[in-house]
Amino acid sequence: MTVTLEVSGLSKTYGSGEQAVQAVRDASFSTQPGAFVAVVGPSGSGKTTLLAMVGGLLTPTAGTIVVNGRDIAGLSRSQQAAYRRESVGYVFQANNLLPFLTARENLLVMAQISGTARKAARARADRLLAELGIEGRAGALATELSGGERQRVAIARALMNDPGLVLVDEPTASLDSARGRQVVESLIREVKQRGKLGLMVTHDMDMAKLADRILAMHDGLMTEVEKS
Amino acid sequence: MTRGTGAAGVTAVIGLLEIRRRKLQFILIALIVTLISYLVLMINGLGVGLNEQAGSALKNFDADAIAYSERAGLSVIRSELSAELVAEIRQRFGDESSAPLGYLAANYQAADGEIDSAAFLGFEPGSIGEPKVTKGRMLTADDRDGLLVDRSFLRYSGLDVGDAVRVSIRLVERDYVIIGETNEGNFFFQPSVYLLRSSWQELKYGKSGSDVPAASIMLLKGKGTAGSRGSGWIAVDKSTAFANIEGVSGQQSTVQALRVFGYLIGGLVIGVFFYVLTLQKIGQIGVLKAVGASSFFVFRQVLLQVLAISIAGVAIAIPLAWLTNRALQQVPNPVPIAFTTGTFLVTSALLVLMAAIGAAFSGRQVAKVDPIIALGQQQ
Ligand SMILES: Nc1ncnc2c1ncn2[C@@H]1O[C@H](COP(=O)(O)OP(=O)(O)OP(=O)(O)O)[C@@H](O)[C@H]1O
Ligand SMILES: [Mg+2]
Repeated sequence: MTVTLEVSGLSKTYGSGEQAVQAVRDASFSTQPGAFVAVVGPSGSGKTTLLAMVGGLLTPTAGTIVVNGRDIAGLSRSQQAAYRRESVGYVFQANNLLPFLTARENLLVMAQISGTARKAARARADRLLAELGIEGRAGALATELSGGERQRVAIARALMNDPGLVLVDEPTASLDSARGRQVVESLIREVKQRGKLGLMVTHDMDMAKLADRILAMHDGLMTEVEKS
Repeated sequence: MTRGTGAAGVTAVIGLLEIRRRKLQFILIALIVTLISYLVLMINGLGVGLNEQAGSALKNFDADAIAYSERAGLSVIRSELSAELVAEIRQRFGDESSAPLGYLAANYQAADGEIDSAAFLGFEPGSIGEPKVTKGRMLTADDRDGLLVDRSFLRYSGLDVGDAVRVSIRLVERDYVIIGETNEGNFFFQPSVYLLRSSWQELKYGKSGSDVPAASIMLLKGKGTAGSRGSGWIAVDKSTAFANIEGVSGQQSTVQALRVFGYLIGGLVIGVFFYVLTLQKIGQIGVLKAVGASSFFVFRQVLLQVLAISIAGVAIAIPLAWLTNRALQQVPNPVPIAFTTGTFLVTSALLVLMAAIGAAFSGRQVAKVDPIIALGQQQ
């Protein structure tokens, strides 16, 4: 279950010719099991692009992404889907819940996708919702939730299948700082206890400081920020 | 507001949950499916009904094969068998397994004075050509002016058992008495009326005896009767005989074409509906795929929805079609629609199958959705 990640020479160019955008340029870093890494940087600097490549949603233009010894950069579409299903929990920048399902059902869909037994799935869903302080909203439709509640449901959904990689894109944007801190701390706890890998994009430097390491993106270039 | 997750807390499948939460949308589609199913069911009922109208009496004969004169080209109208031929065929198959039958289309006068036509069948009491009497009694050799008429004859004519009826053909008019009622159905698109074979000869040829044809056809029973032939006659099985009734094959191919179009349109409409629905949901499909769902998982949800909707539509259409048929049978000149359990089962199964095939349109679309769109999605 412990996860190691080695990224090297990772690049992503959108489009081609005059339209080409170099969203990520030659990024390299590696992590140990239980690492929780923050990614910061201005809007458009390539943070989401980096996360999506590590999450098996985007195929890199160049470079390797080795997860537990296996390069996932060159996977086929269906292999990518299997990788996402088995190893990745992703919290999208726009939380992307299914609007016609309740908070709990949005979590249970994950169990259906992975083929987990229903009873166990339901218990886990309720526990995750309780840990994130939204057990009272379990039966509400996604469209009836507040922005912050939706974000927490999205985090619970990402943790539902107990993935080795927890990738979260701006998880605290709609949360007040106290609540945001709580959520990030529980994410860090989850990652540490199980030797997983956490990658969190954030604008908030206070949140970033809770992480073990901070990577800064600027115009697609990555640098490590010394924590002071 | 709190919503359940299905009976006993069991997770309902996401495709079915969507139907439950987007009721109006899916009810509208189910309504269209119901209407199409209803139409296809009625067409199929019409096919069976027309078939019955063409000649259920022929199908009801207690026989396996029908013998015609060799040159009749399997036409009951043109077939005539001489007394010698009838005797020869009888000798070959035995009295228990063969019976001569005369056919003649003639007019009669209904209770209200209207002239209508019927199929007059000359038979021999006690032979396999004898119909089953459901009211009144069977003819005896003495009932030279007696008739056994089909139930539908009584309905159309307004006459009843015991009434007199005037029959006319060419310049001849004869009076008969209705002795009994049968339920053999139509012969040659007209209600069947049974009379003694000798009376049929008199009606058709003006006299009875051996110097006029003895029958139009012979009914044959037993193995080996179909396909047999002799000098001057040829026998075919009942279903071949039925298909050779003038007008039947054209009629059935028309109905068949309507039926095929019905199924095609049904599959197409359902396919297009779910295709559009799939296009509308590309964002959500992208999210499902982004969190690891395979295209097959997503397509299974679509297929499940199509099956649920089409089964619901068909299930509503069946009683509707049945009730319509009952109502139509009440009018004086009923539309020839008939339903059998087989019609319902086969039609329903084919409609659901066509819907599933229609759903395949969406399969390609689902496979094409790139999970990357989940990154740009706003709720
Ligand atoms: N699908 C795409 N096609 C073309 N260009 C893209 C695409 N997605 C992102 N880009 C571009 O790539 C660059 C990096 O985008 P990315 O979404 O990774 O930024 P980000 O750091 O996540 O920004 P934000 O903080 O606003 O979310 C931007 O210039 C963006 O316009
Ligand atoms: Mg971003």
